[in-house]
Amino acid sequence: MASWAKLMTPAGAISLGDIGFRYGRETRNTLSISELHIKAGQRVALIGASGAGKSTLLKLIDGRLRGWSGSCRVLGQRLDPQRQPPRSWRRKVGFVFQEFALVQRETVRRNVLHGRLGHVEPVLSLLGRFTDKDDHAVDRAMCDVHMDAFADKRVDRLSGGQRQRVAIARCLAQTPRLILADEPISSLDPMTAQSILTILRDRASARNATLILSSHQPALVADYVDRFIALDAGRIVFDGPPDQLHEHRLSGIYRNAAATQHERPHEFA
Amino acid sequence: MSSLDHNVTTATGSNRASRTRSRARACSFGQFSISLTVALVIIWSWNGSDFDLLKLANSGTRILDFLGRMLPPDPSVLPVVIASSAETLRIAVLGTVGCVILSAIFGLLAAANLTPRWVHLPVKALLAIIRGLPLILVAMIMVGAVGLGALPGILAITFHATGMLAKFYAESIESVDPAPIEALESAGATMFQRLRFGAWPQIAPDLLRDTLFRFEMNLRESLILGVVGAGGIGFYIQMYVRAFQYEKVATLALVVVGFVVLIELGNSAVRSLLR
Repeated sequence: MASWAKLMTPAGAISLGDIGFRYGRETRNTLSISELHIKAGQRVALIGASGAGKSTLLKLIDGRLRGWSGSCRVLGQRLDPQRQPPRSWRRKVGFVFQEFALVQRETVRRNVLHGRLGHVEPVLSLLGRFTDKDDHAVDRAMCDVHMDAFADKRVDRLSGGQRQRVAIARCLAQTPRLILADEPISSLDPMTAQSILTILRDRASARNATLILSSHQPALVADYVDRFIALDAGRIVFDGPPDQLHEHRLSGIYRNAAATQHERPHEFA
Repeated sequence: MSSLDHNVTTATGSNRASRTRSRARACSFGQFSISLTVALVIIWSWNGSDFDLLKLANSGTRILDFLGRMLPPDPSVLPVVIASSAETLRIAVLGTVGCVILSAIFGLLAAANLTPRWVHLPVKALLAIIRGLPLILVAMIMVGAVGLGALPGILAITFHATGMLAKFYAESIESVDPAPIEALESAGATMFQRLRFGAWPQIAPDLLRDTLFRFEMNLRESLILGVVGAGGIGFYIQMYVRAFQYEKVATLALVVVGFVVLIELGNSAVRSLLR
């Protein structure tokens, strides 16, 4: 059944099977996922307590995690647990980092331009030569997040919400088919968080890209996604539409995680 | 609370109070010991040297006489001053170029986030030893090794400045935030693209600021290198002082001050651009 499902996975989807991963000397698996499929164009929210494995799962799908076991196919590429995926694949997957991961001393435009590095000829880019197509992609990405007026402003002079928009613009400049966002609203106030979620949802829809984001605010993100995947100690404990995740089920997930942390505090330090 | 609980709590509380008191006593004893040692060292230095405030007060007329002999400054030495100043500047420039090249290599080797412990720890120790050697001693060794002139000055500045500049470079490299580099990796950037667009913009302003600061120091230090025969204006300062030609020394001193002020103004302007 599982192997048949893997064979039938439509192009552009994510397909994971028998995934196992643990960090260093930890005694338990950080990830234990027997099967997970995400169709192209879906908008998914990963929820769960701290240490549940959300960021690790996103890192795995982004091709930056090493040493895992099982099978992982993303956008038609079978990922190797020991090797970096090819550059031609990397540029199709955009990642929005929790703490923005921007070069603080550079301008907004320069940071957004970094999203094009996977597309340009490396030697030409080192000489500062980018094509009109790159410039156009950067302009469009800055407009999409309403940061075009700040193009020449340094990132370290922007607010947290503006920095997150720049990080999203850098991701959009990649023209990705898959957008991964690791807790993109964790450090933002509710109003700014909603505007960031709106941008992510609308831009992903406009570009027909798959969106997977992780969050600790299920109530807030419910209106922006069509599927919730809840993780607890690396396992999927809920997978379905947001309206099926009832309050008591949600509090159960977080209560279980709190109990696990209490029993093994060193693994969550 | 039962009486047993109360007793245990009281005992624990009094133990903690006793520990705090003994720690406070140990702390005040330590402070007293340090203060006493510092005082003894100052008294020892005062008695051992020929430092006498009365003598200093009585030598006022002598100081005035000395300053008087510097006036008016003798402009006839200007051609010599300009030529030797140019040599001093050349020593500082080439010494800085040399130390930048060596510091780039040693800075990379000393950066704890780039090299294993068995590489960066010995390199850091070597840089500390180089920093500990006085410049004049290094210059004397270089004069002995390659003879009089500008070359030993350049070598001495290169060697001595590397100890400090490589440490600064290593610290800049160690302070690089890895998150933007990881983001570029995620976007498909190659290793050289990650270094050029992720790491370089983070460290370039610091490296340039440190290099300018070191150049300023190198210029000041190369002014005195001539005293031991390692070229530059210092040689003439020493020569005229020994010949009691203070009006010529005054001209040299004025040029040196102007020189240093000019370089400092230039450096400040560049540094303000880097902020």
